[in-house]
Amino acid sequence: MLKRMLLAGLGAGAMALPAAGQDAYVVGLTGALTGPPSSTYAPAVDVLRIYIDRVNTAGGLNGHKINLILEDDGAQPSKAAANAKKLISQDNAVLLLNASLSSTYAPTIEESKSSNVPLLFASSVCPKSVYPPAEPLQFCTTGFAANYDSKATLDFVQATATGPVKIGFSAMAIPLSRSEMDYAEDLSKKMGMTPVDKEVIPPPTADYTPFATKLKDADPNWVYSWAPWVTQVRTLEGLRKLGWQGDYIAWGHLEAETELKRLKDSAFYTVNSNAMFQEALPIQKQIEDAAKAANSKYSADTMAEGWIAGMVIEAALKSAGWPATPAKIQAAMENLNVDLKGLRGGPIVWAKDNHFRTHLYYRVYHWDGGKIARVQDWKVYEVK
Amino acid sequence: MQLIVNIVVLASIYALIACGYVLIYRVSRVLNLAHGELVMLGAYLLLATASLFSANPVLAIIAAFVLSATVGVVVYVVLMRKMTGEMVLAAILTTVALGILVRGALVLIWSSQQQYPAQALRVGNPTLAVASAHISAWSLALVLLNAGVYLGLFGFLRYGRWGVRMRAAGQNALLAAQRGINLHRVYALAWALSTFTGAAAGMLIALDSGVTMSMPVIALKAFPAALVGGLDSLAGALFGALIVASAEVLLIYYVDPLLSDVVPFVVLIAMLTVRPWGLFGTREELDRV
Repeated sequence: MLKRMLLAGLGAGAMALPAAGQDAYVVGLTGALTGPPSSTYAPAVDVLRIYIDRVNTAGGLNGHKINLILEDDGAQPSKAAANAKKLISQDNAVLLLNASLSSTYAPTIEESKSSNVPLLFASSVCPKSVYPPAEPLQFCTTGFAANYDSKATLDFVQATATGPVKIGFSAMAIPLSRSEMDYAEDLSKKMGMTPVDKEVIPPPTADYTPFATKLKDADPNWVYSWAPWVTQVRTLEGLRKLGWQGDYIAWGHLEAETELKRLKDSAFYTVNSNAMFQEALPIQKQIEDAAKAANSKYSADTMAEGWIAGMVIEAALKSAGWPATPAKIQAAMENLNVDLKGLRGGPIVWAKDNHFRTHLYYRVYHWDGGKIARVQDWKVYEVK
Repeated sequence: MQLIVNIVVLASIYALIACGYVLIYRVSRVLNLAHGELVMLGAYLLLATASLFSANPVLAIIAAFVLSATVGVVVYVVLMRKMTGEMVLAAILTTVALGILVRGALVLIWSSQQQYPAQALRVGNPTLAVASAHISAWSLALVLLNAGVYLGLFGFLRYGRWGVRMRAAGQNALLAAQRGINLHRVYALAWALSTFTGAAAGMLIALDSGVTMSMPVIALKAFPAALVGGLDSLAGALFGALIVASAEVLLIYYVDPLLSDVVPFVVLIAMLTVRPWGLFGTREELDRV
């Protein structure tokens, strides 16, 4: 009798498990939560988790909670492939997220395509496949974007420089960073600047000074870097150690605000698509409070990117309704307009052929004496 | 001139890390594959002591040095002691597990974000001029510490009572034990010294440019330096580091920066082809690896 009851109990439990899984929106994420480049991704993923927890605590969406499943790929393509397969085939994720290095994109995209599950790049750099005409299943909320960032950066350099620009470039030895610096080098020539050197630096490097030495000896008066933060900032520090006094401009990753305060270097500029927290917007206060309440180990000023991803996922799932299927979520994402309440210069607007945004907005900050100051307010670029 | 300074700094980094591999291998024939993580742990220990003694940087650094040597002893007593008498492969795999454990624990405690012990200690990193070249203060400190560590170790192993015991245990553990040498103490000392030197490298790299989770990969690039010089030779580690660093810096400057990632291993393969036991290594010793 006891044996029969136990078997019946186990059977009921086994049946209840998938039912519980289907009762929530399952969103699966593969991201660089550990490993060398994780400082750019882990804070965004942490705040995304905080955001989703808040949505769930408030009752979920359309009466259903969101089950966010996080898998660490350590920025390794093989792990990302295994994660994506597991999230889709075992966890039945209706939306796949990537928050990792560009080297993980190919296997994640492959899984997304083979299963027709939409893929959102959240805090990882937007691939060109989300630009118009967009690949049907791929979307991106991330602030930084190939080509447009370099255009905005070089426009700023041209507008700011007082004389002829001799420009050097620094990239990390990963595909997107390298191709972006190649693009920037070509663009700089078209804009009348003189590119003098381009250093492609492998990620695990004990000392950046040998690379900086070569860059300095090319005698640039500007250096531009579009790479993970560690490469950007260590190249700058290497140059400064060598006594180079030129202007340095880099992409404003999550770490930018904290690092501008640490470095206190007025000739170091960051180009940002997210407003820095010194702007003290109400939504930034909300993020700070949420991070504090969740006891996050990350600084709130690194969290805008993940919060924006959370806002977009919430809007997409809400619009898709219930029961959610990958096709319904994809359809919802193809017609989305999310007001970011000042976190960026404008909303995220997606259409059937544009899964990136219709307009990009860039601000430039630097350290100005005792504080971080804007040197250029939102400048708009239309996405074509 | 700047290229020479760059070579000396990079060689010092590799040499300081490589001597940790050599110390343990020379005494116990164990290849410590957790050395990179212990290097990184040193940097995080400094971060911890910096938060305790932020007003006194010297005290914080000394406390971190002491803690790192203590970690080495604890690793031996808790983990590696149990491997004594077991297959060397089992001991090596244990160090792999230790490395994974340390890495995971560090992410959980300090997160994966870049950290700056120098900022926590409120100390700067001024640039110093050396003839026509430049070197940062913490890089210079690393070069000087490396010189001090090697001089100290050469003297200790040649003239120190425990140094002689370490050499004896390395040459013939059974005979050394029969002569009354306490092998466990000798091995614990080797682990303490190895962890201390590796951690010191980690601390000074972190003071110079911050600490990230990529530090074990840097230590992995120091491993060829130890092998090129000869895995059981301290002098070999020094020369191996100099060869690897020279090749790396010169290729970055004159050929292609991307080669810096592979050049330590190209040098290693070249050495293994010509002289598998390394420049100063013992042929018999390598046969046992």
